[in-house]
Amino acid sequence: MVYWNNLAPYMRRYTIRILLFVSSYIIILTSSLAFARGGLEHSQATLIGLALITAFPVIGMFWAIFRLLVETDDEYQRLLFAKQTLLATAATLVIVTVWQFLQVYDVVATGPQWMGVIWFAMLGLAAPIVRWKA
Amino acid sequence: MKNRLKVLRAEREWSQQDLADALAVSRQSVNAIETGKYDPSLPLAFRISDVFAMPIEAIFLRDQ
Repeated sequence: MVYWNNLAPYMRRYTIRILLFVSSYIIILTSSLAFARGGLEHSQATLIGLALITAFPVIGMFWAIFRLLVETDDEYQRLLFAKQTLLATAATLVIVTVWQFLQVYDVVATGPQWMGVIWFAMLGLAAPIVRWKA
Repeated sequence: MKNRLKVLRAEREWSQQDLADALAVSRQSVNAIETGKYDPSLPLAFRISDVFAMPIEAIFLRDQ
């Protein structure tokens, strides 16, 4: 509770948004997969709807992260967040580019997938790198 | 850009956190400015100037 009270208001809003989107994602993903793979035949429109509904909380997480950049009223922290998102984007592009060419040369069967997940992972890795000696 | 933040803060016996609270920024931000890793924007420089009740040029010194 002390940690929560010490957080800047923009970080509290960000944390609440991320927790809401992550919990919505878990609920929507598990229930949508159970529905889709329940043994019944579903129309293409239903499956597209399920895909969009499942993608919504992930898009929400992207929104929350970019909203953090807008709402951070501490300019040095905003600079660090901006560097973090740029580093994560650059690292994701490197991974995806290499993966793509591995697929081109038939080293792997499928091309880049789950790029959002890769970006979130890179965002997590970029945080300590950017803040090291900051 | 060089600055006299650390000296001015020490004269007033303020911690980095005290100054950060007065400026409504994080302690990490005060440390970055103090150690010359980050040059504040003009609005933040004016806020620092107000907190110390000194003109900006008495706090921030141009590189020679």
